[in-house]
Amino acid sequence: MSPRRALAPLLGLVALAACLRDPPLAWPPRAPGSQRGGVLRLAAPDDVPTLDPALGYDSRSWTYEQHLFETLVTYDDQSRLVPELAEGWSIADDGRTYRFRLHAGVTFSDGTPLTAADAVGSLERVLDPRTRSQGAEYYREIVGAADYVEGRAPHVAGLTAPDATTLAIVLREPDPLFLHKMALLFAAVVPAEYARRLGDDFTDRPIGSGPFLLREWRRGERLVLARNPRYRRADRPFLDGIVEQSGVNGELAWLKFLNDEIDVSGIPPADFPSVRRATDVERPGRLVSGLTLVTNYLGFNCRMPPFEDRRVRQALNYAVNKEGLIALLNGRGTVAQGIVPPGMPGYASAATGYPYDRERARALLREAGQGAGFATELWTQSSDLDLKMSQKVQHDLAAVGVTMEIRQVAWSSFLEAIRRPNTVPLFDLAWSADFPDPSNFLDVLFRSSRVDANNHTFYANPTFDGLLTRAERLRDPAARTLAYAEAERLLVDDAPVIFLYHPIAYVMTQRRVHGYAIHPLLPSRFTDVWLAPEPTGAQGTSAGS
Amino acid sequence: MRYLIGRLAWALVILLCATWITFGIVFLVPGDPARVVAGPRADAATLAAIRHELGLDRSLPAQYGRYLWRLARGDLGRSYANRQPVAATLARCLPATATLAAASLAIALVVGLAGGLATAPFAGRFVDRAALVCSLAILSAPVFWFGMIALYWLGFRWRLVPLGGAGTLRHLLLPALVLGVGTGVYYARLLHTSLRDVLTLDYMRAARARGVGPVRLLAVHALRNAALPLLTIVGLDFAALMNGVVLTETVFHWPGLGRLAFDAVLALDVPIIMGTVLLGAAFVVVTNLVVDLLYRIVDPRIRLG
Repeated sequence: MSPRRALAPLLGLVALAACLRDPPLAWPPRAPGSQRGGVLRLAAPDDVPTLDPALGYDSRSWTYEQHLFETLVTYDDQSRLVPELAEGWSIADDGRTYRFRLHAGVTFSDGTPLTAADAVGSLERVLDPRTRSQGAEYYREIVGAADYVEGRAPHVAGLTAPDATTLAIVLREPDPLFLHKMALLFAAVVPAEYARRLGDDFTDRPIGSGPFLLREWRRGERLVLARNPRYRRADRPFLDGIVEQSGVNGELAWLKFLNDEIDVSGIPPADFPSVRRATDVERPGRLVSGLTLVTNYLGFNCRMPPFEDRRVRQALNYAVNKEGLIALLNGRGTVAQGIVPPGMPGYASAATGYPYDRERARALLREAGQGAGFATELWTQSSDLDLKMSQKVQHDLAAVGVTMEIRQVAWSSFLEAIRRPNTVPLFDLAWSADFPDPSNFLDVLFRSSRVDANNHTFYANPTFDGLLTRAERLRDPAARTLAYAEAERLLVDDAPVIFLYHPIAYVMTQRRVHGYAIHPLLPSRFTDVWLAPEPTGAQGTSAGS
Repeated sequence: MRYLIGRLAWALVILLCATWITFGIVFLVPGDPARVVAGPRADAATLAAIRHELGLDRSLPAQYGRYLWRLARGDLGRSYANRQPVAATLARCLPATATLAAASLAIALVVGLAGGLATAPFAGRFVDRAALVCSLAILSAPVFWFGMIALYWLGFRWRLVPLGGAGTLRHLLLPALVLGVGTGVYYARLLHTSLRDVLTLDYMRAARARGVGPVRLLAVHALRNAALPLLTIVGLDFAALMNGVVLTETVFHWPGLGRLAFDAVLALDVPIIMGTVLLGAAFVVVTNLVVDLLYRIVDPRIRLG
């Protein structure tokens, strides 16, 4: 066989495969001087996991879900609850009955009317075990949810639509967090009948009432959203569309940003110090930053020796130099004084944390009979940054006589291991808020009854549990905040974790991008983003490649 | 014909073994696939419901039986991570990998044949030594280093190729080049060595004596025999390439099978792991068969059976 004959089919295949796929994207021309129009160009390493609001539970999925769908209530820029699809709502005196009044005349992007029945169907879809939604647990407190989940009832009794624009929900018990749960994207209103029919394929052909609609999704290549012409608010969005190219890692995204091929990019660690030092004019774009409701910590297994001794846990808190860790992040964080992040709306933490103090650490260890030091193991995930941070902690602990081994584990095995009793003495984890409420940290992570869910420290203190119970029963927000602050003070004293830091997010946008902000709780929203008009009018032509 | 049927029957047995072994390994790994579906925050009740919904609460043989029963009907299941049908996911990643594999193999063959043929007559002389040093340098450069450098200069500085992404011929260029040139210099050395051996044989001298020109002598008479070891390697490489080149696909974020399998293993996405292993095993079995058949065409003295 001659080499030529062998090569021809190979080359032919390459050429064919390559030619078959290069679809250009056409966008409407931009009116001169108008705030409207233009395409926001983004890039990401991987595909968006899902566009189905019943399934997504990660910031990547939420980024796009929140533009395709609407929830009855949502958050403003300060994480305060505001109406979205609902005009308003009322809560009965028993604290269990909610009535939402929906905007009249809303349609989905395909033109079908959005009714309260869709809202009922959307929540039932999340509860349905066949959907396998991670959000189901948030709505199990609705009356009749258990019967529905176990197949004893065709519908959820406490979930009704008295008329086309009214949604009524009855809970088994009063829940001060329920409105927050209705702001989660799990509670987004989808065309219920259509979504049920499509099942797992709804993510490929999502239909919602949000400001954008899905125009194209080629997995591994790009995701394209276009303006929803039927969106409820005539003055939004400003953008004609959003294009996210996948297969671009953080470093490449930054290079693309410098070449003006994308509009928004994170800043690689190596470039961050110089970007931060530079003046606004010297920078390649606009620097946007914001504190998020996230806490990074090292959790102790409080049932494993020597960490069952509070003094040992306190000692290690003193021993770790948090500023040193933040320096490894190039300053992208603030020291954690407690577990609740400082940006929590309506909450004033009284926790004072643990300053870096080796002498006190040594003294506490001596007091606990561990003056000679001991050996332990830190479980962490397998990223480079995780390793670097762990090595810094290792170094700090060695200075007080604690020998710490580092064990890097893949995420799925890591999650499995920290749940098992007596397995992981020390682990590296972060918690980001589901709701802007202190209970989302204090209760979810540390209540003794949560050991089968997210209390991986196995921390159990009846006094602390009692304070939580007291706090959650209080209807007055101020008194409630005070009660949680008291619980947090006790928690910091008990030190079931080493409180590390709250990360600060930084991104860079091109100068023509306006209205781009980092939200403390949600991924950045593009509804209010607009692009300064281009003098050449050549907008969007390069958005596809 | 009987030979072919026998080989195909064996192939089925091998594939069955592959499913069995993978299934066993996946369940020995610490980690709970239901946790992948349920997410890090789910409580015990949600986890139990999902485990039941996926059939993970049944015994291992029962699960394996159910898997085989569905497989027999052509149903590979759905990914735990993103709920996409496994067959559709494989069908989406296969062209990406096939395009990359074919393009890089084509480049490798061009480089390999050209390099081998050009250097063989000069064995031991300066040209040959220079070529050896060059190929050694290229071979030793790790893919990620080579890839990053190429991306920086060709993509960022000169803007000749796109920075990451996939979908067009321009996107294909860089990964294929990085992968193809590296493999190509290896082929060149291989061909060079075996050409040198062949060139000293008696029949070559005889051909020269009959008046066969130097080019025809090298490219036809010698190559035909010298290409045999190369063919074996190319066959095996093609199977390996079709299974996805994890490193290249990761560096360039190429949406192919290698990255799919890699991500699936990290996420314990059992249906995808099973699907990629099955497909990978099928490729190895089929290419081996094709290479054996090709041997016969290249060298009719080889008998199969």
